[in-house]
Amino acid sequence: MSFTEWIFLLGGLAVVGPVIAHLLAKPRFRRLPFTMLRFLRTGQVESRSRRNLRDLLILLLRCAIVVLIAMLFARPLLHIRLKPSESRSVHCLGLDNSMSMAYSDGSGSYFDKLKDSAVDYIRSTEDDALFNICTLASGDWMQGLSKGQALAEVKALKVEPGGANVADFLSGLKRIGSVEHSGDKISVLVLSDFTPNTLRQFINVAKPVSVNKIDYEPIVSSEPVNNAAIAGARVVGLADGKLTINAAVVNYGQVLQNRLLTARTEENRSAPIDINLSAGQQKVYQVQLDVGAAGRQPSVLPIELSLSDGDGLKPDDTFYLAVSIPGHEDLNVLFAGDNENQMFLLKTATNTLSRTNSYDVLRIKQVPMSELAVSDLDWADVVVCSGIKDRLGDLASDIESFIKDGGRFVCFVTEMVPAGAAKQLWQRDILAALPGKFIQERAYIQPKPYDSTASGVDHIAARSLSNYKIDRILLKGYFKCEPHPDARLLWQLQNGFGLVYLKRFGGGTSILVNTSVDDSLGSLTKSNASVAFCRYLLGESRQVEEYCFTRDQRIVLPISGKDQFFAGKEQIWIETCDGRNRRAVVADSSLLIPDPAGIGWVKTLGKPTIYAGINLPQGETDMTKPVAAELTGVMSRVFTAGAESDVSEAGVIRDKKNRPLWKIFAWALILLLLVEPAVANRLKR
Amino acid sequence: MDLVARCAVEGFFAGLHPSPFHGFSVEYSDHREYHAGDELKFVDWKVFGRSDKLYIKQFQQETNTTAYILLDSSKSMSFAGDGVVSKMDYGSYLAAALSYLMLSQSDSTALILFAERVIKHIPPRSRRTHLNIILTALQYNRPEGQTNLAGVLHTFAETTKRRGIVILISDLLDDEADIFQGLAHLKFLKHDVIVFHTMDHQELNLDYEGLIQFEDLETKARMRAFPQSLREGYRKRVSEFLDNIEKTTGNSGIDYCLLDTSEPLDRALVAYLAKRKRMM
Repeated sequence: MSFTEWIFLLGGLAVVGPVIAHLLAKPRFRRLPFTMLRFLRTGQVESRSRRNLRDLLILLLRCAIVVLIAMLFARPLLHIRLKPSESRSVHCLGLDNSMSMAYSDGSGSYFDKLKDSAVDYIRSTEDDALFNICTLASGDWMQGLSKGQALAEVKALKVEPGGANVADFLSGLKRIGSVEHSGDKISVLVLSDFTPNTLRQFINVAKPVSVNKIDYEPIVSSEPVNNAAIAGARVVGLADGKLTINAAVVNYGQVLQNRLLTARTEENRSAPIDINLSAGQQKVYQVQLDVGAAGRQPSVLPIELSLSDGDGLKPDDTFYLAVSIPGHEDLNVLFAGDNENQMFLLKTATNTLSRTNSYDVLRIKQVPMSELAVSDLDWADVVVCSGIKDRLGDLASDIESFIKDGGRFVCFVTEMVPAGAAKQLWQRDILAALPGKFIQERAYIQPKPYDSTASGVDHIAARSLSNYKIDRILLKGYFKCEPHPDARLLWQLQNGFGLVYLKRFGGGTSILVNTSVDDSLGSLTKSNASVAFCRYLLGESRQVEEYCFTRDQRIVLPISGKDQFFAGKEQIWIETCDGRNRRAVVADSSLLIPDPAGIGWVKTLGKPTIYAGINLPQGETDMTKPVAAELTGVMSRVFTAGAESDVSEAGVIRDKKNRPLWKIFAWALILLLLVEPAVANRLKR
Repeated sequence: MDLVARCAVEGFFAGLHPSPFHGFSVEYSDHREYHAGDELKFVDWKVFGRSDKLYIKQFQQETNTTAYILLDSSKSMSFAGDGVVSKMDYGSYLAAALSYLMLSQSDSTALILFAERVIKHIPPRSRRTHLNIILTALQYNRPEGQTNLAGVLHTFAETTKRRGIVILISDLLDDEADIFQGLAHLKFLKHDVIVFHTMDHQELNLDYEGLIQFEDLETKARMRAFPQSLREGYRKRVSEFLDNIEKTTGNSGIDYCLLDTSEPLDRALVAYLAKRKRMM
């Protein structure tokens, strides 16, 4: 007998408790003067030796209970040496139900052939054999099945939209061989089309699995494979209400493909494009899709790219691509500085930005800080201040309203920060951080953002900032800032102090940049990175984005902080690919989608509707037939027969069967717990 | 004690009654045939003159009987199972009540208190003031010493010449054979014997629970036991003991009355009066 969790055996030391209690306990009785002792004497008398025996028996009983509990937690295993005749036949079937198995030639689908082969195999086994079936697409095991149950399970199997997962199958096999059926005769049957994806997983297996017998059958068509698929698609651009999409189409088969490629939304459809692909050829085709009015409003557009009929596998002929359209929006930026020169660098960078496609109209206005008025705040979407000045303190309540209404307030610092104005802004929760002591020493900026998940900033711009070697920019001084409890540190200096702080306030954002807008405290705005830094500060990315995932990916969708639909919610309802409603978790600026349950569309329920396209993993439907010699070599390496390999496990327990004893121990414990009061009471009589 | 005795006897006292002993006194009772050895002065010559047969005249004795109350005062009599009335108290009340009853009928009443030996012997008197002496003796009597019932009975039988009613109040916790020999000795001397066997309710039933260390009142012997486990056997053995006593006393013509100290004294008095009636 051995113990899986032997450390729990130390719990058996708890028997010291009852033993000490036994040693310290004194018999409790009451004295009673009596007359008829001679009539008592002939009965059963509580003598000292008898009392000691009774106490000892009760002690042993209680110690046994403690020891049993410890042994139960230690998960005992009984090694039974088996005679060859006692071992049972255990058949483990690895059945590939990945999407490629849905391929159908003239004589039926691969999966139907797989089921027929599996049924024939099961019927050919002995009646008392045990079956464990693993579906490779999901990695699920059905264990301990009888012959009849195995037949029923195989007949009920369906193709799942996904790739084969060999790792789960092999790890399950190892567990069965070493623990659950060690000593039994284990036969393995693998039925699959052995696509390049699947075969690659078998090739990458590091440690072989020891079994008694291995059978495998490649389920392939005798005819040339006829299959093309859209392997991927991405949006190239959006201009004049037309979306340009590049779609990669692959001929995974051996038959020349003459197909038509179209892209369509609910309302529009692109012109069909002729596809001509020879065997194994891959080409990228450009599709123009008129999105019409939908391209003027911020929205997520579901686009289906599809190939016309003509091959043996339909699911990979459609590609689901959700595109986030930013819509048209004007942006008014107000610069408030002590003088025109102070804001020159940032204003120039913003001018440069206005010439890019990111914004349709970007208007810039500059006012002296001392003349900043409420009307300026009303006009602006973004207010950039060169520093914390007394005028800002005067307008604190107006700035608070500006931010709460969805405005964006960006404040740089200068060498001198008026304490009164800073305090007024701080008390109204406007500032993301309160500048404290000025430290005049050289400092460098971190190359990458400290927080790349916060909403309210353009993370694409953050990534491009890293490309400008921002870590080489020298700052001449900085403030030791006290961050607001609700603020997030976005970017750090290399000495650990903060450079950019962000705080969400109502519907808007307040940003504090711990350096000057000119080059008095450093050359950040004078550097090549100034345009990217300006874009980083001005707001979230306004580029077209794709929400496109494969079946095996974790689906995380970005959500806008401005969107009131998600405000204050921890979970929202979504519709998954199978048409069922499930909950998705809202975490900060992301929406975490659970299992999409297939391929197709995942969409949020409610307005605005966010779509995510779920597609097959790339290469899953690559129907290239396996080379027989290669397949034989791979399988003989992955599965070794008998005790020739897998020495670490097989050498020890090959001729033994590990029988878990926890049930016996648990029943013994329950019995003892029931018996203990009765025995103790009985012994006291 | 006087009050207890009065209360117990009220309702049972039925007035004076004839003496059960036939003697040669004043009041004619009956005739019987003459046997050799009878005194000639009791021959009824008138009857001889008429019938030519010798008859003896019998007369009823006018004096009342003598009652000897023997009260066991050994330590075992101090047992009070429920802590209210000990066997000693119960026996004393019974002795007082019987004394009151008998002295009210002008019966001579004696009281003998004993344990290993006779502790106090109040000789028989029929005066009403004799009751005070008996009650005082009962009141100041304290249980002490071990029981030696057989020895005391033999001593009593040897030292008492006048026949009478011997009332034994005891828990009879002594050797059964010796007790029977002592009682047989009394019976042999023509005494009428009534045995009031006083037992506590707990002695009869052993209704205790839990682990108990029993300590013998007389021998100081100790024994630890769970009474619930002994109860059945104990009751059986006590029952056999009582059956044996009742059977043996019955065979010897001795009246036996088992008294449970948890019950009133009525039963004892009824038993006594029934005995007196049979003796008439």
